[in-house]
Amino acid sequence: MAQEEGQPIFSEVTCQEIAQWASAYLDEHVEDERKRHIALHLAICAGCETYVKQIATVRDVVGILPKAIEQPSDSQRLRQAFVARARRLPASR
Amino acid sequence: MNVEISGVTESMSHRMVASRKPELNSSATVANGKVALLARLRQGDERAFDELVTRHHSALIRMAMGYVADREVAEEVVQDTWMVVIEGLGRFEGRSSLRTWIFGIMIHKAKDRGVREKRHTTFSSFESADDDGDDATDPSWFHQSGEWAGHWAFPPQPWDDQTPEKLLASQQAITAMNRAIEALPRTLKDVLILRDVEGVEAKEVCNILKITETNLYVRLHRARERVRQAVEAYLVGRKPTM
Ligand SMILES: [Zn+2]
Repeated sequence: MAQEEGQPIFSEVTCQEIAQWASAYLDEHVEDERKRHIALHLAICAGCETYVKQIATVRDVVGILPKAIEQPSDSQRLRQAFVARARRLPASR
Repeated sequence: MNVEISGVTESMSHRMVASRKPELNSSATVANGKVALLARLRQGDERAFDELVTRHHSALIRMAMGYVADREVAEEVVQDTWMVVIEGLGRFEGRSSLRTWIFGIMIHKAKDRGVREKRHTTFSSFESADDDGDDATDPSWFHQSGEWAGHWAFPPQPWDDQTPEKLLASQQAITAMNRAIEALPRTLKDVLILRDVEGVEAKEVCNILKITETNLYVRLHRARERVRQAVEAYLVGRKPTM
């Protein structure tokens, strides 16, 4: 399933590098020059654009996955300890 | 929590002229809430304590599980962590964030417990997982030689119009992603939970885990890549005609 366009893309970075930097790029954690190279490459390379988009989707979906809201099995004891501690330190603020 | 942050961020956006990093926005707004929470905790506000526990307990348990043998021990570790937090609140100086402090205590306790349970050897093999390798992506996806070297040999197939929301509408997709996350080795799971699930800023994740930003992104990308593959497998499995 090689890229069908006739010529290899002329780019400062390879697709393999883009794929490795995708997460850092999405978090804006690459230096300006590299960022420019990646942006230019993404504009002309469908494979990389798809890949980076998928990593972005993963990042976003992981953040909103339904989570089990867990409470400590002994939350009553914790709360009591907290209250007791607060009473012992009335002046602390 | 993410929703909360983005809501506040938008209202603040007119003030964030110089900032291009979205995480700077959220850090400024979240910081105010944190300071208020800390003040309430110090005043002995029970509801503030409940809030704190509710906010972090699940992630603490999930991370502790990576260090100790089972769920029960993880719960003990986190329970102990909360006791230390309660005792230490008066002395907490706020040089790190409350969250960094709490997660630091948990990791310390969990490691300690893990060592006592003689999982030490398993640990060191985990810890030495090389962060310098660049194999988050499979080299065989790319041409390795010739004029196409470094270009996709097998480019990813677009996920049509899959948005996070659409993926969440499928219980099967959710299960696939959760399984992929739970199956991650600890070093990868820690960064994914903190950065992507809990939305902790990169710098703070590095502080909590005591790793460099380079390490963080190597690990984070490996973790995201494994979840990406799980989504891909789910999408391919759903469409047998592909
Ligand atoms: Zn490319």
